[in-house]
Amino acid sequence: MTAASVCPIARAEATNHGRLVAGLCLIVACAFVGSLFVGYAGLDVPQAIADALRGAQTLPAIVLVELRVPRALLGCFVGFSLGLAGAAMQGFLRNPLAEPGVVGVSGAAALGAVIAFYSGLSTLVPLALPFGAIAGAIFAALLLFALVGRGAGTMTVILAGVAINSFAAALTSLALNLSPNGFSALEIVYWLMGSLVDRSLPQVWLATPFMLAGWILLLTAAPALDALSLGEPTARSLGFDMTRVRVRLVVGAALAVGASVAVSGAIGFIGLVAPHVLRPFVGHKPGRLLFVSGLGGAALLLLADIAARLLPIRPELKLGVITAMVGAPFLFQLVYRLRREA
Amino acid sequence: MRPAARVAFAAALAAASPVAQAQDARPKRIVSINQCTDELVLRLADPDRVASVSWLSRDAANSNVAALADRVPVNHGLAEEVMSHRPDVVLAGAWSSRTTIEILKRLGVKLVEFDVPRTLDEARAEIRKLAAAIGEQERGEAMVRAIDAGLAALPSPKPSLRALVMQPNGFTVEKGSLVEDIMNRAGLENLASRVGSGGYLQVPLEAVALQQADVMILNSEAYGAPSLATAALDHPIIKALGRRLRVIALPPKLWTCVGPNLVDATRSLIARTRGAEAVTR
Repeated sequence: MTAASVCPIARAEATNHGRLVAGLCLIVACAFVGSLFVGYAGLDVPQAIADALRGAQTLPAIVLVELRVPRALLGCFVGFSLGLAGAAMQGFLRNPLAEPGVVGVSGAAALGAVIAFYSGLSTLVPLALPFGAIAGAIFAALLLFALVGRGAGTMTVILAGVAINSFAAALTSLALNLSPNGFSALEIVYWLMGSLVDRSLPQVWLATPFMLAGWILLLTAAPALDALSLGEPTARSLGFDMTRVRVRLVVGAALAVGASVAVSGAIGFIGLVAPHVLRPFVGHKPGRLLFVSGLGGAALLLLADIAARLLPIRPELKLGVITAMVGAPFLFQLVYRLRREA
Repeated sequence: MRPAARVAFAAALAAASPVAQAQDARPKRIVSINQCTDELVLRLADPDRVASVSWLSRDAANSNVAALADRVPVNHGLAEEVMSHRPDVVLAGAWSSRTTIEILKRLGVKLVEFDVPRTLDEARAEIRKLAAAIGEQERGEAMVRAIDAGLAALPSPKPSLRALVMQPNGFTVEKGSLVEDIMNRAGLENLASRVGSGGYLQVPLEAVALQQADVMILNSEAYGAPSLATAALDHPIIKALGRRLRVIALPPKLWTCVGPNLVDATRSLIARTRGAEAVTR
C-alpha cells in the first residue's frame, strides 16, 4: 500500500522538478538572448548572427562575436557558478548564510587574481589569473571550514566571513596601491564589486574549463548533501566519507568561484538569493537545490547585467551594486529570521 | 649659477640698465606642481631657478622632459613640500590639488594657474602666459615661433580621414580639445565629436567598433605595469578591427602637454596615416 501511494507522489515530484528545471532553462535562455540584444550601439543582431554564421567579417559580426557573445556567455557561466557554489556551501555547512561573497571566498579569490594580474604574471602566463583566484578561493574556503566547522552558529559563519572579507579587501587595496600603474588604484571597485564590461572570448576560454570542473565536483556531491541533511552519523552510515565530501566541496567551490572572479570580479549575493528563492520548490532537498540554484544564478546575473546596461547611469554600474540591491534585503530577512529562531 | 655667470650677472647689475633691473625681478625659486607646467618651466627657465617640479616629470615613459627633471628636486603637489622650497612663484594646472591651492592662496604665495588649452592658439597663449610668469618672455616667443615653423613645414593632407582616439578605460577625445585640433591639422576628422560635445568622453568598445573609422589611434601611457584600464586596449576586437582599419599607437606624452612635442605628434600622425614620404617631401 505504501509503495502504491508513494510512487505517484515521487512521480509527481519528479515531474514538478522537471518543470522547474525546464522553466528555469527557459528563463536563462531568454535572458541570454536578451543580453545579446542589449548594448550601447545600435546593432542589427539577426543580421550580425547571419554574417557571423557565414564567416563574414562585417562590423556587426565582429561586435557580436567579440563583445556581446563573450559577455552573455560569462554572465551565464559566472551566475551558474555562484548560484551552484552558494547552494553547495549552504548544504554542507547547513547554514543559509554560507555564500561565497558573504563568507569571503569571492573576496579572497579577488585578492589572488589581483596579485596575479598586477604583478604582471598573468601578462606572461594568462593561466596565472585563474590559478591565482582559485588559490585565493581555496585558501579562504579552508580557513572558513577550519574556523567554522559543520553546523556552527550563524554568528560564527558571519564573523568568519567578516574577518576573511575585510582582510582580503585590505590586502587587495595594498596590492593595487603598490602597482606602478597610475590607473590601478581606482580599479579596486571592479575587483570588489564585479563587472562584465567588454569581456572577450579569450577570457571565456580561460575561465570555462575551471568552472566546468568545479560544477562537476559540486553537482556530483548531491547525494552526499542529501544524506548529510539527515545528520552526519546517518550520512556516514550510508557510506559517505565526510573528509572526501569536504575536499570535493572546497575544491569544487574554489574552482567555480575562483575562475568566475578571475574574469568578472567578486559579484556578491547571487549565491545567497538563488538558493533562498528556489529552496521551497525542491522540497528543501540540498542535493536537488544544486542544479536549479545554478540556473537561478545564471538567470539572475544575466538579468542584472542587462539592467546595468539599460539603467541610464554612465559609466555603467558595477554588477555587485545591482545584485546587492536585490540581495541585501534577503540577507537582512535571513538574519532577522535566524535571530527570532535563536 | 656658475661663478663666472654670477660675475657677469653682477656686472650687468652694476651697469644698472633698465633691462638688468627687470631681470633682477625674475622669480628665482619657481615651483611647478603640474606635469604640463613642469614641461614648460623646465624648457624655458635655467635649471638653477627651478626649485621643484612634480614627480611625474621624472618618468621618462610619460614625460618629454625627464632628463631635465632629474636635475631638480621633485614634489608630489602637497602644500607642505611646496612651502619648504620658499617659492617666489608656484605654477599649477587645472588638475592640481584644490586643497594645496587653497592653502597656498591663504599663505599669500604668488600662484599662477593654467587652464587646459583646447586649441593650438590657446597652447600658444599658455606658453606666453607661463613665460611671462617666470620672466622668460623671449624664450617663450622663441618656442612659439619654433612650433609655428615646425607646423608650417608639415603638409596639410587631404581629404581628411575619419579617426577615433582610444584611451585607457575606454575614453576617447571629444570635440573641442587640443588633441582634436592637432588631429585636424594632421588631416584627421575626430569621429568622437559626432557623439557629444566638450571634453573627454567614455565610449563603450562596441560603439567604437561601429563608428566606421578609417584610423584608430591607441593612446596609452607606457606604464610597464598592467592595469584593467590599459588592458582594455588589448581587447581582441581591436585586433579584429585592425584588418578593416589602420590602428596606430601614439604615446599620449606627445600631445597631452603643450610644447615642441606637439609638432612631433602632428608629424607622427601624418607620417603614419599617409606614409613616411608625406612628411619628408
